Amino acid sequence: MRVFITGLLLSIMSITAQAEINIFACEPEWAALSQELGGDKVTTYSATTGLQDPHYIQARPSLIAKARRADLLVCTGAELEAGWLPLLQRKSGNRVIQHGAIGSFMAAEYVQLSGIPSQLDRSQGHVHAAGNPHIQTSPILLLTVAKALSDRLQQLDLANKVYYQHRWTDFEQRWQAAIKKWQLQAKPLKGLPIVIQHNSWDYLIAWLELNKVAILETKPGVPPSVADLNNIVEQLKVTPAKVIIHAAYQSPRASDWLNEKTGIPKVVLPFTIGGNSSATDLFSLFDNTIQQLLDASK
Amino acid sequence: MKSKTLLASMISAALFSAMPLHADDLDELKAEIMQMRQDYEQRIADLEQRLQQTETNTQEVQQQVAQVQAAPAPAPVSQNNNRFNPAISAVLNGQFSDYSNDPDDYEISGFSLGDEAGLAREGFSLGESEIILSANVDQLFYGQATIALHDHDGETEIEMEEAFIETLGLSNGMTVRAGRFFSPIGYLNEKHIHAWNFADAPLVYRGLFGNQLSTDGLKLSYVLPTEQYIEVGGTVGNGDQHPGSGDHNGVGDWLVFAKTGGDIGNNHNWQLGLSHWQASPDDREYSGGHSHGGGDAESVAFNGDTDITNLSFIYKWAPQGNFKEQNFTLVSEYFYLNDDGKLSHEDELASYDGKQYGGFVEGIYQFAPQWKTGVRYDWLGSKHRASDDELLEDADLDATGYHPQRYSLVLDWLPSEFSRVRAQVNHDKSSRDDDTQFLLQYTVSIGAHGAHSF
Repeated sequence: MRVFITGLLLSIMSITAQAEINIFACEPEWAALSQELGGDKVTTYSATTGLQDPHYIQARPSLIAKARRADLLVCTGAELEAGWLPLLQRKSGNRVIQHGAIGSFMAAEYVQLSGIPSQLDRSQGHVHAAGNPHIQTSPILLLTVAKALSDRLQQLDLANKVYYQHRWTDFEQRWQAAIKKWQLQAKPLKGLPIVIQHNSWDYLIAWLELNKVAILETKPGVPPSVADLNNIVEQLKVTPAKVIIHAAYQSPRASDWLNEKTGIPKVVLPFTIGGNSSATDLFSLFDNTIQQLLDASK
Repeated sequence: MKSKTLLASMISAALFSAMPLHADDLDELKAEIMQMRQDYEQRIADLEQRLQQTETNTQEVQQQVAQVQAAPAPAPVSQNNNRFNPAISAVLNGQFSDYSNDPDDYEISGFSLGDEAGLAREGFSLGESEIILSANVDQLFYGQATIALHDHDGETEIEMEEAFIETLGLSNGMTVRAGRFFSPIGYLNEKHIHAWNFADAPLVYRGLFGNQLSTDGLKLSYVLPTEQYIEVGGTVGNGDQHPGSGDHNGVGDWLVFAKTGGDIGNNHNWQLGLSHWQASPDDREYSGGHSHGGGDAESVAFNGDTDITNLSFIYKWAPQGNFKEQNFTLVSEYFYLNDDGKLSHEDELASYDGKQYGGFVEGIYQFAPQWKTGVRYDWLGSKHRASDDELLEDADLDATGYHPQRYSLVLDWLPSEFSRVRAQVNHDKSSRDDDTQFLLQYTVSIGAHGAHSF
């Protein structure tokens, strides 16, 4: 309540104050987090939607225009956006968002990534040398990123430091309570044997202690062949799975095929905000993810 | 002291006698108090428990966060200069070509082809191999070099295709580039050949630039601070690249360009570009040279002013803007070249007014993550007027107004984003002898993989 009132007072005071921080988020989860932490002191734009594969985005004209006017980039980093972000940075002619500048925030730099390949060889598919970049699937990692992002906002906009601190405390409390709630809800999911499409879920799996028994893309980024899929069917006879998971932006072909072949229920998880109509903010993203897993595992 | 105790007992006695208490009432009161006490104790216990739980909650989450944050110590930096090596990538490609006509006789009516603008040799051939180096130079510059190796008349030639430095976020949307770079004269011109959608250049690129125009000089571009993407800029160069020619002190060619583009919903993106280039070629030679009376043929040369105007339109579509699964790209460009000056050949001289124009439209449909198909249509035209028609003939410039055309069909298999196998068929009416061309090509990229522009 106090936070709310302080926030309200501050916001009333600042109506006449300076312009907002223009945030260019590479993915919807970072746009949402920026909005949570920045409130009405920031305007956010997400370069991608929950239905787009963030590896394959066109460095299109509208993004150059947005990057040109951005005060802060909030992206995943760890090479997830390597196919388009460096080009936007160069073409924008915008000094503050260049790599290493104060206006370039790469979330993956603040957490420890898993899945760092011991060997870099493209015959193994689309490998990420820096590790698995899909960190937004764990609310624990998200909290760590949130702290760093709030610090960055405070650094960038000194005049509103107190405001950002309040927003951070408020978010931290709500987020921690939510994490506790999700962990309680997800207790029955512990050890749930799952099949995934792409290594997008490592951090969710680690958090909820799910049991990944098979991956449809035997090599990341390479669509599975019929032989690969048949192998998985054989493998599932030995180690059965209860749910097939794939992200909303991915092609459903392989999971549908497996679902038909084995009768294992398929779940399309939102992966990020906008991945389905229920995942409208960070909280509902995890509410929906856990609810869908619970429903499917029954 | 004694008197005080006495007084107190007297008062209490008086009170008690004045307010006679029944034993029942007292019991009731006692029970009530006990009840209240129990209630409160229960509530306090509840609160304590909740407080404790909250504390453990926070602790648990913080513990998890701490675990996550406990990143390992950074790996020791080896004492090795290689760590600052630039991003290196190599593009390799090879081709098998089959033509119904002799490729040595290939010509585009109304256009003069440079040395390298012809067809690839028939049968197996190694295409252009490229080595690309790029890195940030320091806090201010980015640098890139593209070295191309290709076979020409049985010898491997090395060509510096690009070598430029570019400012990194000069601020306010400004970017300055210096060195050798692909001229922003057209949409495809700024892309590397291996990033094109067909195995060969559009006829208009082949006819006007000998495939691609590069500039040695400076480029300045400015992205406007508007919601709509608008970029304007210009280049100045030394003017020696075909269709420019000769040594120029100072500025030999210049170009201005403007681009705009945007999105229509999530599914559609577009870009529109306009550019204008000017140069004053000094002895631009025409490849076709007829020897007058034996010996080495002396080429016809052009001196005068040349300008080129380009209009380009690009449209891309992907369901939900998700390019990975399915997408469609439409590229169309139109060029108009205007020559005004004199043709000379040996001791003959003629005033000359030439127009060469044309364009292409190509549509590429990626129908599955690993498959693409596309069609292209090329169309050209020219008008040549000279005070002495003999010089036009000597320069091999067809003045009959024939319109070269070409239809192409392509199919790409993309095992990954690093490799491509391409089959292409052209029905080529570049000259009056129709040609059917079949091309089978592989292109791979090894090493660092840079970003692709729109």
